[in-house]
Amino acid sequence: MNDWIAIGAFAMIALLIPVGMIVGSWLLRPSVPERDKRAPYESGEVPTGDTRVRFNIQYYMVALLFVVFDIETVLLFPWALVYVDAIEEVGLAHALLPMLAFVFILLLGLGWAWRNGAIEWARSPTADRRRTPKRTP
Amino acid sequence: MGLPVTPLETVLLPERIVDALGLEGYGVLGEFVAGLLAAFLVANIMLIMTAVAGPWAKRKIRARFTDAIAVNRVGPFGLLIIVADAVRLLSKEIIIPEGVDRPAWELAPIIVALSALLGFAVIPMGSGIHVADPEVGAVFVFAVASLSSVGLVMGGYASNNKYSMLGGLRAVAQNIAYEIPLILIAVSVVVFAGTLRMSEIVAVQAEPLILVAGIAIPSWFAIVNPFAFFLFLIANLAEVGRNPFDTPEAPNEIIAGYQTEYSGVYFVLFYLGEFIHIFLGGAIIATFFLGGPAGPVLPGFVWFLIKIWAIFLLTQWARSAVPRVRIDQLLDIGWKGLLVLSFLNLILTALIVGVIAA
Repeated sequence: MNDWIAIGAFAMIALLIPVGMIVGSWLLRPSVPERDKRAPYESGEVPTGDTRVRFNIQYYMVALLFVVFDIETVLLFPWALVYVDAIEEVGLAHALLPMLAFVFILLLGLGWAWRNGAIEWARSPTADRRRTPKRTP
Repeated sequence: MGLPVTPLETVLLPERIVDALGLEGYGVLGEFVAGLLAAFLVANIMLIMTAVAGPWAKRKIRARFTDAIAVNRVGPFGLLIIVADAVRLLSKEIIIPEGVDRPAWELAPIIVALSALLGFAVIPMGSGIHVADPEVGAVFVFAVASLSSVGLVMGGYASNNKYSMLGGLRAVAQNIAYEIPLILIAVSVVVFAGTLRMSEIVAVQAEPLILVAGIAIPSWFAIVNPFAFFLFLIANLAEVGRNPFDTPEAPNEIIAGYQTEYSGVYFVLFYLGEFIHIFLGGAIIATFFLGGPAGPVLPGFVWFLIKIWAIFLLTQWARSAVPRVRIDQLLDIGWKGLLVLSFLNLILTALIVGVIAA
């Protein structure tokens, strides 16, 4: 029996349940549209400005690092799968050391990013201006 | 006398349904129908779990921790609040705010619920409740579970609300920081197990590890490698977004994060998705570290439920007892703490397994 047929069936059910709930709720719920009700919630204030502005997401560098490490985990899974068998075939050194070298290079990259402050929470250039300068005694 | 371990179930639920309903003659169509029925059963089990957990158990647990009295008016122990809440939430008006990005705004809750439910396709629940068992089950479950962050950022961006936007961005920051440690710890489990098939990961853990006072302790990976188990628990808390890592929806900073503008059934779907995600996290932990549905005396499915409810209780305990970390601290803990420790765990595991195997 093919497992992926069952998974496909499961995906269909997992899609149909939320859709079914939406349809069921559509039969039950009232609709009383008002203009004020539809305003975006901003703690009860009148909303100001646009939401979709240019915005410093602070972790741009981290997101780049994520791509690197995510691909790395994809490469680690096959290695982990054959590791114990590989030890019997080619010995511990040949099974382990290449992967250690690979991980070491990545960790070196992480250390470099760490030292450069790439994984620090980036500070906005205006934050320093707003801050009250520390008084030196 | 050894601890009786539930024997490995090799017959999957759809196959049993095929046998029971006599669908052998219908080929792929019969398999698909059986898969639909099996999926419907499993999905409904999880919906019932969520229905008990969301409106009732969560409040009761929180009340116990904070010395308060929770829902106790409707029905015995307040249990009928589940029905009342379901009707109330489904019959609420949906307020569509100005300027929302329509298709994305409506798709986001569906994606969140779908990704959390789909993960259960490969989880062995014991007593033969196991929908599919592909060779890459362990990778599949992580891949599907991490789809939910797409839904979160979609909802956050489409809502046209500043709080939602911040919440969605925080959810992504958190997921990318804790995804890697989570998967690296899973890789260290795979080094032990030598397989990605969920049923085999469970089977490997059934082997007796040592004998203590005549009772065989099974080699659950939580016992074999408690360090990895501990790290996985923390990374899982972050992955499901519960305290101390609930910054994406931090109620007293950004209202409700990505779900600020959602009401009625869309809110229910977000909420449902989150709870099923917690249970999925519990199911992954149970399968990877706690021997899946294995346990003495009681049937496997009951043990599976006990294990996922234990993890649920842990998240609720953390929710009541641990303060929230700030978003920059959260990234620091993820990238400078957990990532380094999970690499350490992987390398140590590989070394120890290698030395023993060599």
